[in-house]
Amino acid sequence: MAFTMRAVKVPRNSASLEEARHRVFDFFKQACRSIPTIMEIYNLDDVVTPSQLRSTIAKEIRKNQNVTNPKVIDMLLFNGMEELNNIVEHAKQRHHVIGQYVIGQEGLVHELGSKDQGNSDFLKKFYTSNYF
Amino acid sequence: MAHSLAASFSPAAARRQVTNVISSRSSVSFQSYRMTSVSISSRPSSLRFKICCSAKKETVDKVCSIVKQQLALPDGTALTGESKFAELGADSLDTVEIVMGLEEAFNITVDETSAQDIATVQDAADLIEKLMLEAPPKVV
Repeated sequence: MAFTMRAVKVPRNSASLEEARHRVFDFFKQACRSIPTIMEIYNLDDVVTPSQLRSTIAKEIRKNQNVTNPKVIDMLLFNGMEELNNIVEHAKQRHHVIGQYVIGQEGLVHELGSKDQGNSDFLKKFYTSNYF
Repeated sequence: MAHSLAASFSPAAARRQVTNVISSRSSVSFQSYRMTSVSISSRPSSLRFKICCSAKKETVDKVCSIVKQQLALPDGTALTGESKFAELGADSLDTVEIVMGLEEAFNITVDETSAQDIATVQDAADLIEKLMLEAPPKVV
């Protein structure tokens, strides 16, 4: 299957913070509009809902919300665009998408919920640190 | 009476006729008069009816429930048509996310310029109504 690269061209640098803001919102909208495609490609229908994916994308964007330099914002947007392209072109695989965007950032054990609930306190703290 | 009149026209016109009858509160006889005079091009003129109606109650309610879920508001907060998104604690990214959620829920596409103007729940509901009238919802 041919790789149809979307938005390969590097856009001009944003003139101001305001223009960078608009670019961020455009990127967010583009990502949200490709969520149905992504869910179909990777068969995510029984794992996650579109609104959960939307909030994950928003969380990723919010991580960098204190950046004020338009050029840095452009660079972050370029990275985000590249990631979105990779996912939509099916260059990634299902476990990549699930591990990075569905399960959550605090580590696999915490988000997945009860596997052996209440078995051992020692094991629960095992991943967090050596000293307890 | 409207249905018998509609049956005599082409199927596309009949479908539009039926949806117009269901969704608008105007009199049926006027609609059927419009269909006899001109064919497809009469559609913009029939649209003139609907602009005067404000957003329906269930649309506003659906928008409210999506907003409440998105911003994780506690159940007690008063959420009316006039509540501004900024007052409810939503920053600009939250507003865009809410608009995306509405796009998905109502199966519409909001363009850039219209999205800038949305400040309250009522704005969003009116915009949704307008878009649902201009482009009939895509049949899945």
